Amino acid sequence: MRAESGIEPVHDFSRYLDDRPQDGVFRVHRALYTDPELFELELRYVWERTWVFLGLATQVRDPHDYLTGWIGRQPVLVMRDAGGRIGAFLNSCRHRGARLCASESGNRKYLVCPYHGWAYDSWGRNVALKDHQHGCYAPAFDAEDHDLVPLPRFESYKGLLFGCLDAEVEPLESHLGEARFFVDLVMDQGANGMEFVPGRMKYMYRGNWKLQAENNLDNYHLTSTHPSFMEVVKRRREGESANEQVRSPDFAQRLSRESGMFTFRNGIAAIWVRNPAPQDRPLHRGIEAVRRRVGELRAEWMLNLRNLHVYPSVQLADSTSLIIRTIRPLAVDRTEIGIHCLAPVGEDAESREMRIRQHEDFFGASGLANPDDSVTYEDCQIGSPPGVLDWHQGYDRGMTATLAGANDLAREFGISPVTSLRGPFKIQNETVFHAGHREWLRLMSEGASRERRR
Amino acid sequence: MRDDAEAVQAASALLAEEAAAVDERRWDDWLALYLPDCEYWTPCWKDDDELCADPRSELSHVYYRGRAGLEDRVWRIRSGKSPASRPMPRTLHTIANVRVRALGDGRLEVASNWTNHVFSLRTRDTEVFFGRYEHTLAPGDGGLRIARKKIVLLNDLIPTYIDVYQL
Repeated sequence: MRAESGIEPVHDFSRYLDDRPQDGVFRVHRALYTDPELFELELRYVWERTWVFLGLATQVRDPHDYLTGWIGRQPVLVMRDAGGRIGAFLNSCRHRGARLCASESGNRKYLVCPYHGWAYDSWGRNVALKDHQHGCYAPAFDAEDHDLVPLPRFESYKGLLFGCLDAEVEPLESHLGEARFFVDLVMDQGANGMEFVPGRMKYMYRGNWKLQAENNLDNYHLTSTHPSFMEVVKRRREGESANEQVRSPDFAQRLSRESGMFTFRNGIAAIWVRNPAPQDRPLHRGIEAVRRRVGELRAEWMLNLRNLHVYPSVQLADSTSLIIRTIRPLAVDRTEIGIHCLAPVGEDAESREMRIRQHEDFFGASGLANPDDSVTYEDCQIGSPPGVLDWHQGYDRGMTATLAGANDLAREFGISPVTSLRGPFKIQNETVFHAGHREWLRLMSEGASRERRR
Repeated sequence: MRDDAEAVQAASALLAEEAAAVDERRWDDWLALYLPDCEYWTPCWKDDDELCADPRSELSHVYYRGRAGLEDRVWRIRSGKSPASRPMPRTLHTIANVRVRALGDGRLEVASNWTNHVFSLRTRDTEVFFGRYEHTLAPGDGGLRIARKKIVLLNDLIPTYIDVYQL
């Protein structure tokens, strides 16, 4: 692979992906999960070059509300100013680079650096430089901009806030592209918007971030990783358990349902399953009003089961209860996950409690299913060190059922995906993962060649 | 139980027995310490400073009204079908600073501090979880039983996962 400049890129990343659709082959190199050098390049070329989810507009509802987060290696600050505008900045004092806000969220009219007292307002303007008049600064210093550094790009779609450190990234709305249909099925559930239910669920696992990236789109693991959850739910339904406090979905019913997937541009992908029990969802109680607002088709699909991955940082999963899952890469073998319970603003108290109980039953570091995923990621990490074996197997599952372009369902939705699949649940395809890995290759190759040209 | 020292002793003994039952995986003994209509609650933190206060409108790590939720968890641990607890980590709870307030009608409100050292046989790592317990104890069959337990987990950026044996 040759960069436009004619200079060889730092790496030929294509050797990590054996992608030969004409031969029915798709293989992923184990180094993607285990090579620390590749991981450092991913932070620069993937995470710091594409859109990364930072939070919800409803998290910074009032003037001077702020939240903090990360894009790749960079600490980030999102704030609403006195006039109601939301801005996003590096969470880093211009003086010595001290992090300004250590908390995940809060409300502050002024941010004062704890080190030398440089102060900023909630629009990032430097409003005080301690003892400036006695500082004997040369004119060159006063000519400099001392404001917080705004993110090169900061945009929102339906209340989802994204930032990007690369000014040349395409606009967020076109980046989401055809996948907006699936974003809308989440963010349009509330007539007055969506909010996070209070309560922090954060954990770390000792594994590469791509293990979580894939798992969100993986129906294949359900019956082998989560049989204990499935049986607990069955025991409750059959009266063998006296726990009547929560009615979680019976996954066993799904195994005979129709399912499928779509992949989109920019590594975005979604899976879906027809819901055998829509009445067990908190949205169901108010579905008539939703139907009047969004139409028959979208209301039906809000009740169906869908997981979306907006590569690489965020997953909108609505297959058990509705969550937004954030992924933060810490090291090649270490990842931080945030699990947010997402709900319509103004939801009735009974539906809200049903939602919360379903969420806790499955999700988070303490759920009855989520821990089984996390430990299997760790087993994948431990079990596949670099050195002997090169390739993971099985990414070709579903290959002969995967169509290029739109299938009939996509046409019904009015969307043009890159690939489509529709069929019995038991296909449990892995072709849906191809989108993310192809996007990895694109971003890594472009990032390396651009850096080389500089 | 009029005597404070006697109340502290009884409460401490029950808390120690609960910890031992979990650490020794005597799950039936552990469940028998709870009243059937007990409340078991590990609230999430709302932010860095404030705990969630209302389990009906805010998230909990674990929230059960009734022992049946704990029975589900014990069933899952014993099933051998949950990779998270296969193999089971070794745990050692230590409880200290036990403070007791009598509520009348034989009920006691007990506050304590806890640490739990956990050795994961899967990853060979040792982790420490710590926080505060609030127990409400009430007379039941065979002596004092747990009517309510609130677990405050202070280090809530959780390594991999938590279950009732890490709390």
